[in-house]
Amino acid sequence: MKILLAAAAIMSMPVIVHAQSVEDAIEARHGFYKMLSINMGTLAGMAKGEIEYDEAAASRAGANIEALVGYDLPSLFVEGSSMDDNMESAAKPEIWDNPDDFAAKFEDLRSAAAGASDAVMGGQENVGPVVQKLGAACKACHDEYRQPET
Amino acid sequence: MSRSDPASTPVQPVEVRLWDPLLRGFHWCLATLVVTNLFLGHFGPAVMTLHFWVGYGIIALLAFRLVWGFVGPAEARFSNFLRGPGAVTRYASHMFRREPSYWPGHNPMGALSVIAMLALLAAQVSTGLISDPEDYINVGPLAGEVASATSRKAVGWHHLGGTLILILVILHIGIVLFYRFWKREDLIMPMITGRKDVIRRG
Repeated sequence: MKILLAAAAIMSMPVIVHAQSVEDAIEARHGFYKMLSINMGTLAGMAKGEIEYDEAAASRAGANIEALVGYDLPSLFVEGSSMDDNMESAAKPEIWDNPDDFAAKFEDLRSAAAGASDAVMGGQENVGPVVQKLGAACKACHDEYRQPET
Repeated sequence: MSRSDPASTPVQPVEVRLWDPLLRGFHWCLATLVVTNLFLGHFGPAVMTLHFWVGYGIIALLAFRLVWGFVGPAEARFSNFLRGPGAVTRYASHMFRREPSYWPGHNPMGALSVIAMLALLAAQVSTGLISDPEDYINVGPLAGEVASATSRKAVGWHHLGGTLILILVILHIGIVLFYRFWKREDLIMPMITGRKDVIRRG
């Protein structure tokens, strides 16, 4: 009997851990994108002239983006966390069908972000090209793997 | 032969100047820009500056068509070609006859498709203007004027709209081919030269 209870407890454990980790993973993803968006917003605003160019602030935003994309984001796309499993998510199930391509798209974002903190220094005109490179990486992944809101 | 007895005189189609030059120019410009933007939207560069400018061109064309629908020549005027359900069903009932329609302008069914196309394009440019795809490079110029939830949803509406427009374009071409090969009536040359064989009734 004790053995059976212990077995049942052990068998039920991974399920609970899994359920928690799915929600944690989705929240963590959203937090990641929120931080990315705050810093992208700074750079895009400066590129458009809606925010006054400030070299230190631009460089800080660039450094933040470089730091963010150092994180292993694809690892947060755990099994059972697509839009089909959880209504909080906009992650298309295609991510799990093409994990290599999804990882490659994130790798593209990393390449686009490399050196951003330096590249945005030296004048407002240097911000636009960085935003375009980063934005193109955002778009490439959104087009394939992100469900637009309805 | 008195005019009160038209049944005894077979009505012959006559070639007339039907579509005015501005309307024809509008049609082919719109066709070019819409197809261009469908391609740019799906396969164009990630920085969609060209897609935006083509969209502004479409807005200008739609504005022209709206004005022309009120002050243009008879064939271009909405009041002239928009008909009630009776006229539409009457036209539909003999649409599949294997003979040219000789219709002098937009027929009652075609009028519906004209309105559907213009309304859909107007909706499409509107959702495009307010779209925020959160990529920081292709944010619609009016996205900041609406709630951020709306501008994010507009992206989905814009994608759906693109699909619906593609379906309407294919339907439009299909119907033109149906007239050409089933009804043996060429609708393409009149849209180029402006001249068409018609029968004016009533």
